[in-house]
Amino acid sequence: MSFPHKCKRTHRGLITVTFATIAITLAGCTHQSATQSTTLYERLGGQGTIDTVVENLLYRIADDPEVVVFFANTNIDLFAESLASQLCDVSDGPCHYEGPPMDRAHQHMGLTDAHFNRLVEHLDAAMQAEGIALGARNELLGRLAPMYTDVMRLQ
Amino acid sequence: MMLFQSMFSPSSSPFRHFFFSCLAVCLALAAMPSYAGSRIVSTGGVSAIEGAAGGGLSPWAVLASTASEQEIGVTAAATHAWVDDYRLTVTGASLNVYDRIEVSVARQTLDLDTLGGELGQDIYGAKVRLLGDVLYHPWGIWSVGMQHKRLVDGTIPTALGADKTSGTDMYLSASKLLFSAVAGRNVLFNATLRNTNANQGGLLGFGGDQSSRSWMAEGSVGVFITPQWVVGAEYRQKPDNLSVAKEDDWQSLYSAYFFNKHLSLTGAWLNLGDIAGLPSQRGGYLSLQAAF
Repeated sequence: MSFPHKCKRTHRGLITVTFATIAITLAGCTHQSATQSTTLYERLGGQGTIDTVVENLLYRIADDPEVVVFFANTNIDLFAESLASQLCDVSDGPCHYEGPPMDRAHQHMGLTDAHFNRLVEHLDAAMQAEGIALGARNELLGRLAPMYTDVMRLQ
Repeated sequence: MMLFQSMFSPSSSPFRHFFFSCLAVCLALAAMPSYAGSRIVSTGGVSAIEGAAGGGLSPWAVLASTASEQEIGVTAAATHAWVDDYRLTVTGASLNVYDRIEVSVARQTLDLDTLGGELGQDIYGAKVRLLGDVLYHPWGIWSVGMQHKRLVDGTIPTALGADKTSGTDMYLSASKLLFSAVAGRNVLFNATLRNTNANQGGLLGFGGDQSSRSWMAEGSVGVFITPQWVVGAEYRQKPDNLSVAKEDDWQSLYSAYFFNKHLSLTGAWLNLGDIAGLPSQRGGYLSLQAAF
């Protein structure tokens, strides 16, 4: 009755191969992106596209009663400019974000995870509407995601 | 062709009716415009076969539905799996309170196509999110959970040598999404450590002559081809408590599509190894989940 043992080995082998393939793919892709010469800023479409994304996002915020209340006392022009420069900075563009740090900018607003999630959805929808490719969208969201901790620190 | 025959072959089981009712309810509810939680689509995973939010075979650390802070979510799911000599039907429901606590119930029915008869168990589950978030937290999301399982009829499992007809699994689970990890696609990782005495997930009873409780590792990797479509592999280590019924680890290759925050469909290829003396059980899996 060596069959079950053989079967178990094949079984284990298949799993090892699956996970090894995934690991190698991951390593390969990391290597590839490290050697990629274009910046995320360029793949997003440069400042022109970033500005239209910000504008698109502001319309979505204006239409969302759950979120728009947080902008009641905000100078929208200043906010748009600041956000565009932040997205440019974060995506390795030729900008330096000089606005307030994320914890100070959002302190005591009473933000919940629900508000944060809605803004993420609006931003992704805005990027999609402005024709940004999925890879660049994911990468930008990935660079913004760690800001969650700062945004929520002083709630 | 055989696949469809085995999927839709008539059965006297009263649970079959329940299964189709649940399927109908899922579709009807999903068609209605209604409230959705604010978490991002797909961050609640799908319904695992034991009722908790997860992949198909293993629970994940994420909580069911897209309910977030100050929100409540409900899911209902109908699942059918068919391998060479068995068919498993699962109906389940779960409740997510404030993305902190998940409670779930599931009824599993295993049709013993070759051996004759059927086995069934009820599973009552609870999961608590300890910390984090699958998307935003640097450590991902961490949860602990328990699953209390009770066999409907323990005659066959007891005859095979199982010690008990009910048991409780405890597990610690972590999930983390890595943005833009493979060709610009997001990749989801899950790891679960389970303390269990269940034989074949509990359907063959609990404990046996070879051992009783042990720690088992489960894991999965999934690549989001699009934000609504994830494909991946899942692996679940299993104990081997019964000398007369050798038990193997489970594995699957899965594809889950989220039509929206309310409806998802999961398909998988299963390799469940030996079950109750019948070797190398392979087959398919379909699961439909509705969430609110």
